Amino acid sequence: MSVLLETKDLTVTFGGLNANNHVDLKVDSGSFVGLIGPNGAGKTTFIDAITGFVPTSAGSATFGGQDLSELKPHQRAQLGLVRTFQSLELFEDLSVRDNLLVAAYPTRWYTLLQDIFYVKQKKNDVEEKVDWALEVAGIAHQADILPTDLPHGQRKLVGVARALAAQPNLVLLDEPAAGLDTAESNSLGTHLRDLLKHDITVFLIDHDMGLVLSVCDYIYVMDFGKIIAEGTPSEIRTNPEVISAYLGEEAGEIQARSAEELRDMTIEGNE
Amino acid sequence: MDVLFGAFAGLGAGAVFAILGVGLVVAYRGSGVINFAHGAVAAYTAFTWDELRNTTHGAYVKDDGGSIFLPWFDPIPEWGFLKALHINNLPVEIYIMNDPPVWLAALLSLAMAAFIGFLMHIMVFRPLRNAPLLAKVIGSVGVMLYLQSVANLNFGGANRADNGFWEFTSTNEPIRNFLGMDRNLAGSTLYLAVAALIIGTATWALYRFTRFGLATRAADENEKGATLLGYSPQLLAGLNWVISSVLAGAIGILFIHRAGPPTFILFVVPALAAALVGSLTSIMGALAGGFGIGMIASMGVNATSYDWWPEWLPSDGVRTFAPVLVMILVLYFRGDRLPIRGTVGVGRQPRAPFAKHPLVGLGIGIGIVVLMSNIFTANWESTLTTTLLSIMFMLSLTVLVGFLGQISLVQWSLAGFACWTLIRLSADGTKIRAMDFLAIDGPGWPDPLAALAAIIAAVILGVLISIPALRIRGVQLAVVTLAAVVAIEDLLLRNEPLMGAGAATTNPTPDPNWFGVEVGALDEKTFRTDYWKYTIFALIFVAIGGLIVANLRRGILGRRFLAIRSNERAAAAAGVDVARTKMIGFGVSSLLAGMAGILVAYKVPVITSEYFNPFVGLGFLAFVYLGGITTVWGAIFGGLLAAGGIISEFGSLHFEGITQAYINAVGAIGLVINAIVTNGEGVALMLTNRSKEMTGVMRGTSSSPNEVSGSIDANTQEVS
Repeated sequence: MSVLLETKDLTVTFGGLNANNHVDLKVDSGSFVGLIGPNGAGKTTFIDAITGFVPTSAGSATFGGQDLSELKPHQRAQLGLVRTFQSLELFEDLSVRDNLLVAAYPTRWYTLLQDIFYVKQKKNDVEEKVDWALEVAGIAHQADILPTDLPHGQRKLVGVARALAAQPNLVLLDEPAAGLDTAESNSLGTHLRDLLKHDITVFLIDHDMGLVLSVCDYIYVMDFGKIIAEGTPSEIRTNPEVISAYLGEEAGEIQARSAEELRDMTIEGNE
Repeated sequence: MDVLFGAFAGLGAGAVFAILGVGLVVAYRGSGVINFAHGAVAAYTAFTWDELRNTTHGAYVKDDGGSIFLPWFDPIPEWGFLKALHINNLPVEIYIMNDPPVWLAALLSLAMAAFIGFLMHIMVFRPLRNAPLLAKVIGSVGVMLYLQSVANLNFGGANRADNGFWEFTSTNEPIRNFLGMDRNLAGSTLYLAVAALIIGTATWALYRFTRFGLATRAADENEKGATLLGYSPQLLAGLNWVISSVLAGAIGILFIHRAGPPTFILFVVPALAAALVGSLTSIMGALAGGFGIGMIASMGVNATSYDWWPEWLPSDGVRTFAPVLVMILVLYFRGDRLPIRGTVGVGRQPRAPFAKHPLVGLGIGIGIVVLMSNIFTANWESTLTTTLLSIMFMLSLTVLVGFLGQISLVQWSLAGFACWTLIRLSADGTKIRAMDFLAIDGPGWPDPLAALAAIIAAVILGVLISIPALRIRGVQLAVVTLAAVVAIEDLLLRNEPLMGAGAATTNPTPDPNWFGVEVGALDEKTFRTDYWKYTIFALIFVAIGGLIVANLRRGILGRRFLAIRSNERAAAAAGVDVARTKMIGFGVSSLLAGMAGILVAYKVPVITSEYFNPFVGLGFLAFVYLGGITTVWGAIFGGLLAAGGIISEFGSLHFEGITQAYINAVGAIGLVINAIVTNGEGVALMLTNRSKEMTGVMRGTSSSPNEVSGSIDANTQEVS
């Protein structure tokens, strides 16, 4: 498997505080990688840094072999490096479908002329991408509603669908399960595993240990801006450093056990 | 030495900018509103003082006067049956006494300022406290237009006689050989500077050392926290509005001998620059900024008298450009490209529904216009074309403000620039009409070519202006573009060395001939009776503009515009090039504004730069907001409602004595109400919502709001 995203020594500094401290991380294409860590560990900052929303103070990030440092956020998105936001950040004045269309349409120099003369577009691959993304997120029946009229959990899904509509190579999901109930979270996990079949690599940040341990192939653990551990879910589950930093010993074992059950369910569901 | 003297001469104006800037900071810290009406408050107070002391209805009568005028006008017509019903007129003028003493006049005027501040808080800014940014900006622009029209009705628009608070002027009591510089400085300049320093420092001390100041600062930092400590943020906001207005009024009284109402109202521009120097929060920063801007501008003006100074950079332009420059520097170096995490959102924006059947609307519009044109009736031609022209211009605001969410006030100046360019490209150095005052030099291009070039010129200028706008957003963009309006008027429109003879005074417009058809609205030369041709010409322009806007909304770019309006960060994350898309939006908007400029040039025989002054442009913004800022229908309603439009003309025909001055005041009130009640969706969407609700009820299918999200908008199903 080729390396899709790679960071070396990535460091983000906020006024003397290292929010990300020499982070080395690799995401292989076609894999499902997770990043966990307690609140304030610097997970969202890491996504902000590789998508160009905060400046890095040292280190490098490459995507598909291309250096990202000189690229603006929208250019990184156009490369196929697309993210979601923890705090939703939907286009609240646009319908769910329009939210997705904004992300799905490629930029062309003649877009302005096309719009002004209202050149009707055939039912093309853009529409198909959008329909597919709505389907994957399970919100196809709500496509024509404003996001503000949806319950919180479904708005989260709109955010995920918007990222998928851009047909990314890598989608960075920032706590997509926060605010979802267990059932919603489980079904989201199943849907996300499906993405791998569509050549989309997934990078997932979440608090829901059950979700992360059940769907990810490989997991990084971050604390105080540093990667303190990495490995397969079973390695992470038993890593003493992770357990003390994040899970708490007893809780960790319970969580891990339930995650194992969940994982079995998910994989069955996939087959 | 000369340079240094230039700086000292700027102290007087600097003092006014400084205290107005301090007042803006006070209001901003108290309520989070940038008050565009601040200069208007100063003006109204100053004229109240002048009316008490020196004049009667603007006419200078020494030792006469003695009335105050309440800040409204009498809306009730003089109809017999109203009298019979004992419906009396609203009192406006209250007689105090003949020639009141200075202290009484000052006290009454400052009380007037406090009253205006109180009213602004209660009636406008408190209801708007949770409204989106655009509504707050529109609210304060509405207050500014309202006070301007009411001041005009109550006091007249003339400059005041040379007799102000200090009872002397630069001519009769100068300080001779000031500081050994061999130049004479006006005495009032020095007095003003000292007074401003005292007032400014006292205000700073009030907020620094008293419990009230502490509470205000606390509420400014954290409104909820202050509430928990037992302070009422709304009471504090009200007090700060009163203080802010009294400060404005005080400096207005001290400075009245130098300025008339329009100048005074536009002092808000350098004052805003001063407040920005203080980051909108520092009183001392605003004080220093105000003096600094006054002195820099004065030094610049002083420098224009040198031989080496380029002629195309006139002193008026230097004066008005100084604050723009300061603003751009401050904002450019402090603004970020994208709002960072945790920034408060812009609030709920007015909805921008999908343009469903533009061709149906177009058909209806054409029918009405043709019926009203002088093919059938002669009387409404001028009103009809004014309406079309307003609609044409308002469409440019629909794109820029409605879709893209960029509150730019400069578009009307671009229309002016297109108009000026057209006049100069199509002129050939001969008089166009016998009545023309002067002939304009030019290459004499054919009319369609000149019009195309003029529109392109407006687009280029508009895109250039958008470059700083990429880093300046929200209310700050409104501030900078208001300053740019004033600067463009002086630097381009009124600049004769640059634009050619007549630019500052009278511009005879071309007699256009498009492919053999006389499309101008003028009849002096041939006594034509077919100026319905101009009406049709304007109609074609408006139809093209309307279709462009409707198609944009239906297309990809329209969605991107709305995405940027809603959330720039998320738009960038979705792969939208925010900077480029904004520039396209400014370009399209400038194209539409340029087309409006062409219509202006073809409508009137002679045009002056007054036609493109800031208030006209703000009036358009006010009325398109009233009609509905987010739809083509909104622009159409706006055009019907605007000054000179069909509805307002109809009103002035049928309601005795309602002139255009009243129309503006009424429009400003409507604007504020619209900002509070409909969040800028305006008349157009109100009507469609109403009809949808009605049909929904009849079919028994009225949709219910989604309870989970607690939305109050039941009609969103119709949006897409």
